[in-house]
Amino acid sequence: MERRSLSRLGLAVVLCAAALVAGAVTPQVRSVFGATSVSFQDIEESLTCQCGCGLTVHSCNHLQCGSALPLRQEIREQIALGKNRQEILGYFKGKYGEKILSAPTTTGFNILAWVTPFVLVALGLLVVAVAVMRWSGRGHGAEATAAREAPRAQSPYDDILEKELKDFED
Amino acid sequence: MVDVGSLALVIGLVLALYAVGMSLAGAYWRRRDFIASAEHATLAVCGMTTIAVAALIHALVTHDFSLEYVAHYTSTTLPLQYVIAALWGGQAGSLLFWAFILATMSAIVLLQNRERNRELMPYVTAVLMTVASFFLGMLNFVTPPFQRLAFTPAEGQDLNPLLQNYWMTIHPPALYVGYVGCAIPFAFAMGALATGKLGDEWIRTTRRWTLLAWFFLSMGNLFGAEWAYLVLGWGGYWAWDPVENAAFLPWLTCTAFLHSVMIQEKKNMLKVWNMVLVILTFALTIFGTFLTRSGVISSVHSFTQSGLGPFFIGFLLASLAVSIGLLVWRLPQLKSENELDSVLSRESTFLLNNLILVGMAFAVFWGTIFPVISEAVRGVKITVGPPFFNKVNAPLGLFLLFLTGVGPVIAWRRASLRNLQKNFLLPVALGLVVAVALIIGGVRHYTAILSFFLCAFVLTTIVMEFYRGVRARQAMVGEGAVTALIRLTGKNRRRYGGYIIHLGIVMMFLAITGTSAFKVEKQITLKPGDSFELGRYTLRYDGIKSRETPHIAYLTADVALLDHGRQIDTLRPEKRFYKKPQQPTTEVAIRSTVISDIYLVLGSYDEPSRMVTILAYINPLVSWLWWGGIVLALGTLVTIVPSRTPARAPAYVPSRGTQPAATTE
Repeated sequence: MERRSLSRLGLAVVLCAAALVAGAVTPQVRSVFGATSVSFQDIEESLTCQCGCGLTVHSCNHLQCGSALPLRQEIREQIALGKNRQEILGYFKGKYGEKILSAPTTTGFNILAWVTPFVLVALGLLVVAVAVMRWSGRGHGAEATAAREAPRAQSPYDDILEKELKDFED
Repeated sequence: MVDVGSLALVIGLVLALYAVGMSLAGAYWRRRDFIASAEHATLAVCGMTTIAVAALIHALVTHDFSLEYVAHYTSTTLPLQYVIAALWGGQAGSLLFWAFILATMSAIVLLQNRERNRELMPYVTAVLMTVASFFLGMLNFVTPPFQRLAFTPAEGQDLNPLLQNYWMTIHPPALYVGYVGCAIPFAFAMGALATGKLGDEWIRTTRRWTLLAWFFLSMGNLFGAEWAYLVLGWGGYWAWDPVENAAFLPWLTCTAFLHSVMIQEKKNMLKVWNMVLVILTFALTIFGTFLTRSGVISSVHSFTQSGLGPFFIGFLLASLAVSIGLLVWRLPQLKSENELDSVLSRESTFLLNNLILVGMAFAVFWGTIFPVISEAVRGVKITVGPPFFNKVNAPLGLFLLFLTGVGPVIAWRRASLRNLQKNFLLPVALGLVVAVALIIGGVRHYTAILSFFLCAFVLTTIVMEFYRGVRARQAMVGEGAVTALIRLTGKNRRRYGGYIIHLGIVMMFLAITGTSAFKVEKQITLKPGDSFELGRYTLRYDGIKSRETPHIAYLTADVALLDHGRQIDTLRPEKRFYKKPQQPTTEVAIRSTVISDIYLVLGSYDEPSRMVTILAYINPLVSWLWWGGIVLALGTLVTIVPSRTPARAPAYVPSRGTQPAATTE
């Protein structure tokens, strides 16, 4: 009985942790998939500087940078026109090509960039869950565990094993 | 000396190939004399690479500009420490240095194990010398470090100024030792697969080597972050550059391996998975080297584009094919009687931990190569930069932090409700106190609040573990708290060293959260006497000075730092102009405290008006990253240093017919 409730508790703990993480990262997810509010820094961070520094326009610290400075000016102009985030990024993508964006878009082929890691982790989670369920079901309860351990009674390692496990649990 | 070095590389290659052949022949025909000959050849390869490195250092130090490498990466005015560091500053030198570390490690492993692991060692030698042959082949035929110029220039071109920094003298060696160290467990794993000795003997033999490799990978990454923070002057320490990612990938899989081997040692499970992780880690070290040197993906850190890419990718694919082939061949023998007593146990959390670490490794790998995939599939160049990596890795990293708290204190085999209550009630409560305090304090960054909650949670579980252990010793032996703490840690170095490492990781999470969520930054142009506000501080530009050495011209701004009107420091950000490569760099000025770093970059200077442009940042908690690294290093030291008490026999019961192997660390 306790075993079943523990399994449920375990599942609940993992789900709570997942929910907490999901809740906390929702703003980030929103910023990936279709946020419309616009801030200068957000747009700067969404664009890659083309000077070869490998940083975003926001992070590029080359003060005379031939790429970051004009891009910042263009961002200001686009915001002044009253455009939303998607429209501004669309403008830059249209003018400079997709490589100007500091992260893949969330449409078409690029969606694979975002989704694949999480799909694989989810599949992995499923595999781990199934494996743990199967492996933990092999003992069939305390009697089976006891029966399984009985032949080991003569093993010289049994005492060490029990002592170690006790140490860990205490 | 140059000809000696060149000759040493040729002899080294021949000997390495000979060692491979004789090791395998000796193992196949069971000829002890063949194996002994291969061992001598392996030691000689170490000697040859040492001679080659000594010859190149001699050429560097004596400014022998007849050598292309010396002329390209040094000058007569370059300080000695950077002249020596130029050994790994360029393509050919760094490959030679790599081969030298590999040959040295191979020799040490051989001397340690040739009597202890007679069956495994011929295969281990063959694998290590195959890798050495590849690198020596590159050095002989593709990027020779002793290539002479048609004429001898009077002066060299000097080392890239960005590399003329203390951290660059230790960052690449640390990373290379980490990379090369990963070849040792890989070689033993291949030896285990080849011989069919598939117990955990190879794991226990290589445990310290794996830890050492992991430690150096950790330090290599941290030193690189410190270098980026001090030298690149953009206010951060990690930009998810492809080369940074390449160094981070094997760290992630190696971390997963260090955790999952514990399950194999304790429960005799996950044998196949551990093999997969070792193969993956080794493959990622080669992938990282390929990425740095191939020019496939552009990076500010990569070496000059060269023709090395196809050779590396070929070697990588061949290594994967052989190792996966061996693994598949041995699959029937690797099947273990997987059995868990409960869904809720430490084993389960370790499996989750492995899933998240490998998931993060995949996410980083995927993001790094996605531009190449996009170009191949759609013909469109795209960029995958920091926003992608931060967004994808943040949830995975936070979940990993959660598991860091849960894993060590949940019981092996089966957790009981009492066990959970005892171990998690206080940590969750303290975590909530921290979260509520932050919300009351006005913090509305929910990812940061969750991260701080988890940091408090994990920290409490660690402190509780130490507290309980100390109390138990005090009750049993009557020791004082400090003595009990030292002896508790000393008696079970692996367990408590692990907790110390986790403590270091928590400190790093604090720093990453602080800098990601609460950074303050400002860019401003000032004339002498002007002030500006940065957070609660006032900064006043007092003027600029210049000075010169034969190598560098300096421009140093004096900026007074005031807190509530009282001057507490003077910060001096610099611009440096390196005369040989005619290249400016920035030297940031930092006032570092436990709470935050005030970080100033001198951007530009207009001489007629004496106006400067300053980039100013407040980077909260960033010093915790470096201190976390020191704690992590201490933890690794505790874990790695052999215990005085004799090593314990494995806890699991060996399967029928398997003899318990002796510990041979």
